[in-house]
Amino acid sequence: MANFFPKWTLWLPLQFLVAAGVVGAGIAYGVTYYFTPKYTRVGYMPTQPVAFSHAIHVNQLGMDCRYCHTGVELSSHSNVPSTQTCMNCHTYVQAQSPKIAPIKASWTTGQPIPWIRIHKAPDYVYFNHAVHVNRGVSCYSCHGNVNQMEVVWHHEPQSMGWCLDCHRAPENHLRPLNEVYNLDWSAETPAAQREMGMQFVKEWNVNPPVNCAGCHR
Amino acid sequence: MKHVFEHPEVPATGRRYWRGLEEYAKTEEFQGWLEREFPQGAAEFWGDGVSRRNFLRLMGASMALGGLSLTGCRRPEAYIVAYTKTPEWQIPGKNLFFTSAQPRRRGALPLLVTSFDGRPTKVDGNPEHPVNQGKSDALAQASILDLYDPDRAKQYLNQGRRSNKADFDTALLRIRELAEGNGGATLAVLADETLSPTRARLRDELLRQYPQMTWCVYEPLETGNQRAAVKVAFGLEGTLVPDLLAADVVLSIGSDFLGTDEFGFKPQRDFAKRRRVEKPGDSMNRLYAVENRFTNTGMMAEHRLRLAATRHVAFAAALAREVGVADLPLAAAGGLDGVDPVWVREAAADLRDHAGRCLVLAGPDSPVELQILVLGINEALGNLGKTLRVRTSPAPGNATMDELAAKLRSGSVESLVILGGNPVFNAPAGLGFSELLGRVPTSVYLGSHENETAKAATWTVPAAHYLETWGDATAEDGSVLSIQPLILPLWNGVSQVELLAQLAGQPTPEGPALVRATFEENQGRGLSGQALDTAWTKFVHDGFWPTSSTLTTPAFQSGSAASALANLLKPAPVLSESALEVVIAPSYAVDDGRYANNGWMQEFPDPVTKLTWGNAILISPTTAKTLGLRSYMDRGIQTSDVVRVTLGGTTIEGPVLVAPGHADFSLTISAGYGAALGRVSQEGGFSAYPLRKDICCLSYPGAKVEKVGRLAKLAVTQEHQSMEGRFLVREAPLSEFNKNPEFVNTMGIDSHAPKNFNFYAPPPLDSPLQWGMSIDLTTCTGCSACIIACQAENNIPIVGPEQVKNGREMHWMRVDRYFVSEDFNTDKVGPWAKADPVYAVDPEAVTQPVTCMHCENAPCETVCPVNATVHSEEGLNVMAYNRCIGTRYCANNCPYKVRRFNFFDYNKRDVLTRSDFLGIGNLYFGPLGKKGSPTAVKMQRNPNVTVRMRGVMEKCTFCVQRIEEAKIKTLVKARDSDRTLVPTDSFQTACQQACPTDAIVFGNIRDEASAVSKRKQLPHDYAMLNYLNIGPRLTYLGRIRNPNPKMPGADRVGMSSLKDVHHHGGGGYGEKPSDGKH
Repeated sequence: MANFFPKWTLWLPLQFLVAAGVVGAGIAYGVTYYFTPKYTRVGYMPTQPVAFSHAIHVNQLGMDCRYCHTGVELSSHSNVPSTQTCMNCHTYVQAQSPKIAPIKASWTTGQPIPWIRIHKAPDYVYFNHAVHVNRGVSCYSCHGNVNQMEVVWHHEPQSMGWCLDCHRAPENHLRPLNEVYNLDWSAETPAAQREMGMQFVKEWNVNPPVNCAGCHR
Repeated sequence: MKHVFEHPEVPATGRRYWRGLEEYAKTEEFQGWLEREFPQGAAEFWGDGVSRRNFLRLMGASMALGGLSLTGCRRPEAYIVAYTKTPEWQIPGKNLFFTSAQPRRRGALPLLVTSFDGRPTKVDGNPEHPVNQGKSDALAQASILDLYDPDRAKQYLNQGRRSNKADFDTALLRIRELAEGNGGATLAVLADETLSPTRARLRDELLRQYPQMTWCVYEPLETGNQRAAVKVAFGLEGTLVPDLLAADVVLSIGSDFLGTDEFGFKPQRDFAKRRRVEKPGDSMNRLYAVENRFTNTGMMAEHRLRLAATRHVAFAAALAREVGVADLPLAAAGGLDGVDPVWVREAAADLRDHAGRCLVLAGPDSPVELQILVLGINEALGNLGKTLRVRTSPAPGNATMDELAAKLRSGSVESLVILGGNPVFNAPAGLGFSELLGRVPTSVYLGSHENETAKAATWTVPAAHYLETWGDATAEDGSVLSIQPLILPLWNGVSQVELLAQLAGQPTPEGPALVRATFEENQGRGLSGQALDTAWTKFVHDGFWPTSSTLTTPAFQSGSAASALANLLKPAPVLSESALEVVIAPSYAVDDGRYANNGWMQEFPDPVTKLTWGNAILISPTTAKTLGLRSYMDRGIQTSDVVRVTLGGTTIEGPVLVAPGHADFSLTISAGYGAALGRVSQEGGFSAYPLRKDICCLSYPGAKVEKVGRLAKLAVTQEHQSMEGRFLVREAPLSEFNKNPEFVNTMGIDSHAPKNFNFYAPPPLDSPLQWGMSIDLTTCTGCSACIIACQAENNIPIVGPEQVKNGREMHWMRVDRYFVSEDFNTDKVGPWAKADPVYAVDPEAVTQPVTCMHCENAPCETVCPVNATVHSEEGLNVMAYNRCIGTRYCANNCPYKVRRFNFFDYNKRDVLTRSDFLGIGNLYFGPLGKKGSPTAVKMQRNPNVTVRMRGVMEKCTFCVQRIEEAKIKTLVKARDSDRTLVPTDSFQTACQQACPTDAIVFGNIRDEASAVSKRKQLPHDYAMLNYLNIGPRLTYLGRIRNPNPKMPGADRVGMSSLKDVHHHGGGGYGEKPSDGKH
């Protein structure tokens, strides 16, 4: 009986298996990497209608977060400032700069500036800014070093698992209330942070919700 | 072996609680209801005109289409659009509260309105005002939806064609010119009742300019008889003010003072205060009710006499005789045949025993002779000045509706201005108003909808909603309330006072100028400058200006009363199957028709009949049997004969609904349905107004009924979510409660069940906050304000009449209404209406609000395959909508049947549209159906509650958004301190906030100072289905009643659930092995 199949075909099943393994591993890696909030969100840095630089306003000029984001201590929502807030200064400062032109246009026409949303919680998530900043969670913990950003980008994944990491171990993020808006502050060492955090958890009776109703209503 | 739970046996004989006649007769249909998680039809398609196969085809096609366009893999670009100029007080994400008031015909309701980012979203009572103390009712709660009604009038119309303001201004100028020539003799105003001081001021201003002008105030369901009776009996203009706080015994003759807004909120609240019992020995009031149909008042009564409305006068005369009223010609009223004389005698004796501490009430719209008689009875009992007083108030106009009609007929009126209402639709048929309106050369209608009147008038001006305008009103206690706008008019509406100011030739008012002028004339008199500004700001901020009480007790003029009665009294008409009585009643849902285009109110189950989306002709079981009329369940849907009612040459057609407890040979028809306001109002019901002959009366004898030969399907929810009748409602007379205060826990299986144990580890309830609720069945009147408050707060969609018929209504809260009667009929099994039934003719009734119990060992949680429903450490049974995959196992396992499933995308799709293709509802087209609900309606949504989508289970959350808000508020305040405990009773759930009688109490049960803890300590606190050992956090206070032992049938009142207290004979539970039947 003649050999219908050449000898190298004996290796074909193994080659198929290896190839399938490589391709499968690739797909699995791709899915786990590219479909995570870390990939889809972190780094999102859209071009805003106004070339606003947090770095200039906060680090260079020393403005406090709450000068513009007035509602952050009071409301669930940390508001983006109204055109009026920009015009408080820019009526006098850099008034003729072309970068300010869209703001002035908004002020004269009454048309609001369409800022592009970067951080977005899903509709079924009810995040509250006030309760975090009033209880020692800094802006930094969720938004990163915004004070150093020329253009704001999505710094943290802000996925549910990421939220729960902190809700289950708040001591890693709590800081003295007077340092909440100081985005450059950090504890000396992670161990020092932990120790201080543990103390706050005890003294302030910090007990973040980890049940569904804490965020989903 | 499979463990099958054996519920304790329901005893086969004795008095029983039942919801509908199907349950009463134990039909197979009803058994089906009991055994299902959802009503029959809810999870099937056969009732919908779409077969499952067709549905799958449609779905398949749409999914294929959806797959073609693979969009949405990336995050869409979203924008944050900040203000250009920041509005004062506004913090994005925070709500604001404003006081206002809802104008009503018998006293405006003080309100506190919630506004989110400029959108009013919820209406509640003003907690500072003494009348309602923060409480409201279903109609007030639903009025927010009327603001966003997309069918509202939006433009000026001239002869039905689109016009504009400029043309209208010219026309109005011509009206003024015409009236100036003759002192206003050609000008007439027909207004609804708003009790607005500013409107009264402008009316007087107009009357100064045009002394001959006619001003008529007309309310469709107001007869004006109370005012007439007060005039006869006391010789002055005014209205009656009852004091229920001082009344130990109340007898109501045809008055639904706990129901349809007859005397306002204070009597309801006072009645409940006198009814609440906490420990043995507490006093309690007693209520007798004489009525032709079951009302909220009748359901609360200890002793109820069902009596045709046209015989109420004869009853009052008989009562007057027994009470010992002299000086009045009682004999003319004839005898009272067919009523147990002992009933009247003992009721009268009870009233006499409580002379000066009792009250006899007649409805403000009942016949004038009845009201004079009742005043005479109260005079004889010494109640005047003690439980009944008079508030003097001038007559609202200078002409009655009849006088206006005469003027229109004579042709002397050339211009008619109609302010609000819908007189063409609801004016008494005898007036022929529609035809008379056609004779007026120029008629102006300021109305909220393009309704019948708008079509008949020459000019239509869109009216502003009360939340869009400045205004004022008078509350039921005489205090003046301010109305302030929360939003600019959505459709350029104009308020009544603005139109009147224009008619009076005044310049267009700026903001609150008109109201402020009235304020300066009255409350601000003598003030100026800063003091006046402060007073005005206080008035607008507080929402009211307190007034010293203006109640008087004039002397009863028996001579004048006797001569009036001599003319008016005549023997009651004889009723028979060929001479029936028709009673036109205000609807609990749509009132006189003003809420007919309100989806929430259309889907509001009538507190008594549980009928939604329309009205029916209510008829007693016996009369229905005599006339051969059928009303039965067909595959889970109430099906009734359509009949033609003929009264004095006028006929209307409508389906009958057999109503247990209804008087024989009497028909009750709810008014207000069938108006052409818009799409919603066209969905169900028919108008009762054609049968109303004249303004004086709402009940007429001499009607005939014949079958049309057609059957109609009604959307009745009474048997939806039925639970097996094992002592769900527990009640006892006061005497029994005094002997055995813990009677509720010695009933049924609770009297002898061994202590239960748990298979599952109970959830760790380790938070200092443990939420619980208590509902007092003694003070629950069944008014169902909680249902609509919940709907407004929690973004609950309406589902439309077809879906209600299929049992898919979404209300998180339901109010179960049980009838109670003798001789639960076990022999007559079978569809009662088809065989020969023994009817439940004269039952008692009980109401029980049911919502999610937040069981500590929740059965729903253990069966959820995806952990979408879990327990929080605060004892809440929480729902994570985004996890839910819609298996509905939880609903299947819920013994209270409180879970609701979104069978369709009710929030995203128009639920009322039907396609041209076979008339199939829009919902069935899935993704291919028409999308979107009107934008305006979306503006009502509460931003703090998720809007649920198709395929998701939902249920009461104990208003978790309010709980979280309260917690966050506390934490924000605590900052770096440890004061993190939410203060006692610092917030309320929506149902609790609305409940007019404080029957619902919510709070932290681990806090001993909280109201709910105190309630749960009371001896008559019980848990429904306690033997299941699921630890519900919602418990009830047993219903306690105070019967008069001398009354006929007193030994049965409140005894029904006590029957088996000490000697329950049913077997144990959980003991028997499975018999394979389950």
